[in-house]
Amino acid sequence: MSEVNVEEIKMELANLKNKKSSQLSLVWKRFKSNRLALLGFVFVMIIIFIAIFAPFLTPYKPYATDPSNRLMGPSRTHLLGTDSLGRDVLTRLFYGSRIALQIGVLIILFEGFIGIMMGVLSGFFGGVIDSIIMRLVDILRSFPVIILAMAIAGIMGQGIYNVVIALGIVGWTTYARMVRSKILSIKEADYIEAGYSIGESTYSIITRYIVPNAIPTAIVMISIMMPTALIASATLSFLGLGVQPPTPSWGSMVAAGRNYLLQAPWISTSAGFFIMFTVLGFNFIGDGLRDALDPTTKH
Amino acid sequence: MSNRKKYWTNKIIRTIITAIGVTLIAFLILHLTPGDPARIMLGSYASEENLEAVREKYNLNEPLYIQYWAWISSLAKGDLGTSIRYNRSVNTLIKDRIGPTLVLTLTGLIISVVLGVVMGILAALKRNSWLDYLTTVQAIFWISIPSFWLGILFLYIFGLQLRWVPIAGMVSYTSVILPALSLGLRQEAWFARPMRAEMLEVLNQEYIRAAKAKGLKYYIVVTKHALRNALIPIITMLALRLPWIIGGSVVIEVVFSWGGIGSLLVNSVKARDYPVVQAILLLISIAVVLANLFADIIYTWVDPRIRTEG
Repeated sequence: MSEVNVEEIKMELANLKNKKSSQLSLVWKRFKSNRLALLGFVFVMIIIFIAIFAPFLTPYKPYATDPSNRLMGPSRTHLLGTDSLGRDVLTRLFYGSRIALQIGVLIILFEGFIGIMMGVLSGFFGGVIDSIIMRLVDILRSFPVIILAMAIAGIMGQGIYNVVIALGIVGWTTYARMVRSKILSIKEADYIEAGYSIGESTYSIITRYIVPNAIPTAIVMISIMMPTALIASATLSFLGLGVQPPTPSWGSMVAAGRNYLLQAPWISTSAGFFIMFTVLGFNFIGDGLRDALDPTTKH
Repeated sequence: MSNRKKYWTNKIIRTIITAIGVTLIAFLILHLTPGDPARIMLGSYASEENLEAVREKYNLNEPLYIQYWAWISSLAKGDLGTSIRYNRSVNTLIKDRIGPTLVLTLTGLIISVVLGVVMGILAALKRNSWLDYLTTVQAIFWISIPSFWLGILFLYIFGLQLRWVPIAGMVSYTSVILPALSLGLRQEAWFARPMRAEMLEVLNQEYIRAAKAKGLKYYIVVTKHALRNALIPIITMLALRLPWIIGGSVVIEVVFSWGGIGSLLVNSVKARDYPVVQAILLLISIAVVLANLFADIIYTWVDPRIRTEG
């Protein structure tokens, strides 16, 4: 009898040890059980794999032109055909994933950094600082993102970094708003008051309660903003105001293929498909994460 | 002052501040880079004579605040400036092109709201059914497809292959179908999901259960009691999505060679015709600011319970 009790106590102890990670494992369990979220995860992994190993996945170079093989249809040598300069379309799409992910990550970093800083300033200090920042947010959000970004990119000139700046100048406002409202709600929470009442320092309250509670919001935010960043940057490139040819960006490939829609429909269609595939992956993940982190919002 | 009065005073002050800020941004955009605006507009090969003429014409030799004041004063008189590229008044350029843009934007808007609201309601009524699931998945699908690509796919399938509709420009009434669909389908998702959530919430309310308990017919409960209340937040959603719909229409206009404000804007950005760019930026953003104020007014009007503090 006593033997059994010892086992039980050991198990209790093990459970206690695991408690700390149980929140996270619960989230992971919910995320895993969401088939769409897993599918999205697979999509994004495929694109990351392609971006990393692009040179090993294709025998062609993204800039190698071949005038004798212009606008060739899909075949065994060129799986997705060739473009108007005889370049292998699939190769350029593979290399395009590098451009897309690079721009996406840079935009998230740029607008996330500004937005989170502004949101924290706004939420913590309130008062005049809050008013000024929130009015600035209102003003910038009165412009459609893509239109202001077009005008900015038009003045600053094309290129990856200018795309990032043009989209980030408006994009940070989303983060600022979300971070601000999250901080306001955390500030009001009972456990913060409880922390203060047992004499915890402000520093300890920020690091022990506010930051951990804001992390899920940050994760969801990134998964929401990545699709927007990808589509907006592709749109700029499509309009000829983003990444310039011959750099293989998916957006400019859709635009280039548009002129040959009748002879070579595979250029535009396949380039757009890559954009959709990637964005869909991030959206599925974002949707799954939102449900996993906050199961009360659904069903 | 009553709460209500205070709320509206605050709201209107905020709207005015935002409107002023918007004019500042539209004005300052040309001075974003340290270079000479005249050179930015005319290109690096422009002669000193032409540069000086442009500087003179657009007050570029004056300090910034005087330039801003001159711009704002002529705006107040209804003068949007003169295009460099067309050498015509921006007012005429915009007047010639506003019609097609309004047709496209409104048709797209109607498609997105009607589809979104209907799908949202059905999903909420048939909760957890295949229809509900389909609504969620199709919403994610539409927001994952870049509208310019959707437009090109539509062009390829319905214009080039099936030849059901004209492939470019505005030649007949059917011309608007494809651009409006490319614009509306992507936005539809933003109405379907909130509509579903709102409908579910309303259907759970006490008064709906009371209405059911009273023995009212199901469809009367749904249409007369639930729907009316669930639709209110869609008004806010409309104002929130307006900038995106306008932004989307710019891209769609380029895809379908639609001769509206959007293609004028893209061409002007590329030609560095900044008086036109500034005027269009300003008009669009002021429209968005007014739409937000308008949405607030309707919102409090249809639902007087809305809190009017802060």
